[in-house]
Amino acid sequence: MCGIVGYIGRREATPILIQGLKRLEYRGYDSFGIATVGSSIEVFKKQGRISESEAGAVSLAGCIGIGHTRWATHGEPNDINAHPHIDCRGGVAVVHNGVIENFTELKRQLIERGHTFRSDTDTEVIAHLIEEHHHGDLLEAVRATVPHLRGSYALLAVAAHDRRIVAARDCSPLVLGIGDSELFAASDMTPLLDHTERVVFLEDGDIADISADGVEIYHQGEKVQRPVELIDWCVEDARKGGFAHYMLKEIFEQPQAFYETIRAGVDETVRNLVLSADEVTLVACGTSYHTALIFKYLAESLCRIPVRVELASEFKYYTPPISGLAVAVTQSGETADTIAALKMAKAHNCITLAITNVQGSTITRVTDGTLLMRAGPEIGVAATKSYIAQLAALMQLINIRCGGVFDEVLSHAHLAIGEVLMRDIQDAVALCRGAEHIFFVGRGPFYPVSLEGALKMKEISYVHAEGYAAGELKHGPFALLTPVTPVVAICPPGSTYGVMVSNIKEIKARRAPIIALGVDGDSELAEIVDIFIPLPDTHLLVQVLTSSVVLQLLAYRTACALQRDIDRPRNLAKSVTVE
Amino acid sequence: MQAVILAAGEGNRLRPLTRSRPKVMIPVANRPIIQYVIDALLENGIRDIVVVVGYRKEYVIRYLNRLDVPIQVVVQERQLGTADALRSAESEIAGDFLLLPGDNYISAESIARIKGERNAMLVAEHPSPSNFGVVVIRNGWVREIIEKPEEAPTFTVSTGIFSLTPDIFGYLHTNELPDALSSMLESGERIRAIPAADWQDAIYSWDLLKMNGRMLRSITPEIGGSVSSNVTLRGTVRIGTGTTIGPNTVIYGPAIIGDDCMIGAHCVVMPNSSIGSRVKIEPFTYVADSLVMDDVAIGSHSRIVSSVFGQGSVLGDHCTTYPRQALFEVGEGVLKAEFGAVLGDGVKAAPFTTFKNCVVGNNVIVEEGRVVVGLVEDGVKVI
Repeated sequence: MCGIVGYIGRREATPILIQGLKRLEYRGYDSFGIATVGSSIEVFKKQGRISESEAGAVSLAGCIGIGHTRWATHGEPNDINAHPHIDCRGGVAVVHNGVIENFTELKRQLIERGHTFRSDTDTEVIAHLIEEHHHGDLLEAVRATVPHLRGSYALLAVAAHDRRIVAARDCSPLVLGIGDSELFAASDMTPLLDHTERVVFLEDGDIADISADGVEIYHQGEKVQRPVELIDWCVEDARKGGFAHYMLKEIFEQPQAFYETIRAGVDETVRNLVLSADEVTLVACGTSYHTALIFKYLAESLCRIPVRVELASEFKYYTPPISGLAVAVTQSGETADTIAALKMAKAHNCITLAITNVQGSTITRVTDGTLLMRAGPEIGVAATKSYIAQLAALMQLINIRCGGVFDEVLSHAHLAIGEVLMRDIQDAVALCRGAEHIFFVGRGPFYPVSLEGALKMKEISYVHAEGYAAGELKHGPFALLTPVTPVVAICPPGSTYGVMVSNIKEIKARRAPIIALGVDGDSELAEIVDIFIPLPDTHLLVQVLTSSVVLQLLAYRTACALQRDIDRPRNLAKSVTVE
Repeated sequence: MQAVILAAGEGNRLRPLTRSRPKVMIPVANRPIIQYVIDALLENGIRDIVVVVGYRKEYVIRYLNRLDVPIQVVVQERQLGTADALRSAESEIAGDFLLLPGDNYISAESIARIKGERNAMLVAEHPSPSNFGVVVIRNGWVREIIEKPEEAPTFTVSTGIFSLTPDIFGYLHTNELPDALSSMLESGERIRAIPAADWQDAIYSWDLLKMNGRMLRSITPEIGGSVSSNVTLRGTVRIGTGTTIGPNTVIYGPAIIGDDCMIGAHCVVMPNSSIGSRVKIEPFTYVADSLVMDDVAIGSHSRIVSSVFGQGSVLGDHCTTYPRQALFEVGEGVLKAEFGAVLGDGVKAAPFTTFKNCVVGNNVIVEEGRVVVGLVEDGVKVI
């Protein structure tokens, strides 16, 4: 997790770094810090997130600088453990994203050699190692340091009296932005959008020597060329504008995220991968795992192909028999567990496909094919538009396997999403905000939709919520039903309708209040439940989307009513780049 | 100079088109009405713009965020009136400012006439002044403002565009702006009346057609999509990227077609037509004097004349709109209007439907071969 930024050029580095860190806050906000190279190295670091007053108060001199926003892994979040870290003499400063797995060993050796450590972090060993190898040439020092490091890192280093930044990456993301006589480095593209659209993605093992005039990249000691790519995200997409929260903005961007993803279509490589597969395994974490589950329900019944869905974080600890097409679903393309799982699938000779939102992200370098979803930058920690765009991508795969029979349905689905965004759900919010526990139930593809609804609720409103397959409620959780435990039931027409209605009646008999999502005009359902939220009467594929969006709104509005910090839920960060 | 654009109201006389968007966001010549107001300000060098949003604010904010010019957004929580809307922007206003409704077209030249003035209003002549604030003028100064009178003493109406000083906030005793102006006049303040160069409002949904025709006069020609070689284009025609136009289709400008549309073979698009994005028109269909919003699908052999189609409406083959004059119940009164059809969002019409001078609500479903007349409420099934 954590986010890093770097700047070198003619402007004052501090405001650019601070602004960049604010854009990266979604990656962590336990502490922040910057270091600049002026006449010497100056450092400012602090626990907590960047407030307006502090952002203005930081005034380090220099046109070269690095910055860091932290999601604590080693050492608690406090001022001392905040990055950047410096060596014993204050001649080198380092920011780092990733985990150094052998840091205890390195730290012991360094202490034996007389180094003094200030923090509990793994990063500080890098600063001291660079110090040991630093004989006037920072590039050589970093080159000599990285072979000692085991684990994952994206790091930026600066040294006093040296007008450059040296960057290195292995298994953690790092992007360079090429400006006009200035260069930028960052964990992802969002801080770069303000300044340039030309970027260079570094590869694992790359070391970059960055000066204001340009960048030289070395890989295994050899100088290499990396292509300059153009990014098509615009900075407006990464701004909150007049919305109260990023999450709300992104919820309202979902119709567009969906149709853009559908419109972008599927390239020939991916089409062939999908058509030739005789079984599919999806690996994913969190919200992406739920979209993968929805795909399983839909694809197995609509295109008669066996689909297996695995939690990426579990997948690598056992070795299941695996063959066919392996698909990684990840918004950021950087989720460490998902990348590891996919590499394992690759080792089993699987064909691999990535579904991700970020062009040039790590996962796209690993897989045989990439299907980009077109959600644009997602800043809110709770995934919303990336969820909808993932479903768009996955539904396209289903459509391809079915010979395009869903063309019409998919091309109009965004209208139905727009329609449910206008739903008034105040009654349901009033019920949920007072609850300690909420159950979400559904059957078929609406079971993973319930899981996602419950995840969103926990994640941002901190109300305990569980998603269940409706039939499973009787096998235990029924004991928890009380008149103050709302149950949210997704009950659209179809093969599961009848049995869902009887489930609802059973729940009703235990006097639990019920919020039901059904199609507009379903008066039978509306009569037996406490609160009825109508969905447009559309195709099954679209009902999956509309019901999900209603549950997002329910979580969002409940969290608002409870005055939660919606864009920065406690303890969470967006891209989980540690395992 | 600052400008405050009022964009919080629904514009309920334009229903059913305002269910999912406020009036300021209704597309005219494929751009929301508020865009024309912002453009007129920018042409006059006014870049400090505050927009008051309220009804369906998410859509307005999303749109504003995508503009190149930074726009300050203020939220009016409840739509109580224009004076209340202005009050919600008070904290953002530093000096003299322009106040404009976001849902009327105004020309840049009109803004130039008023922008230097202290306490002035733009006025215009209108054939049916009773829908507006009627302004009585003497020697270029406003004498009286009569809000929506039954018997109007003159045809001069307020455009709702004012140049004001922060003193106005001292007069906002009610929620309506005309009250504040009247009390300004009573207390001896003087307000200049300046005639607007060009201004247009759409009161009722069918008025959008006239506004659409007006706005189409200022489009620039551009062919972004793929147009078959034997398509006939005449006049100013603008076609968005990703749009395909089938063979033997005829398009007479001024006409605009958005992005990613599919216009089939042998279609005819006559002047004063706007077609949104992702619209699909099957072969042999005729469109004239119409405003077709995004995501509409129209079957083959249809005839669409003097009509407004809301987003996502789907019409089967052989659908016809039949323009004629008829009487409409509007609020308290009855109004005579001549147009083909106004369809809300998501209307589904089976083949062989005839729309005869009607206003059809959102998500109405029409079964095969029906003739639809008059007003049809939202969500109704015509069987």
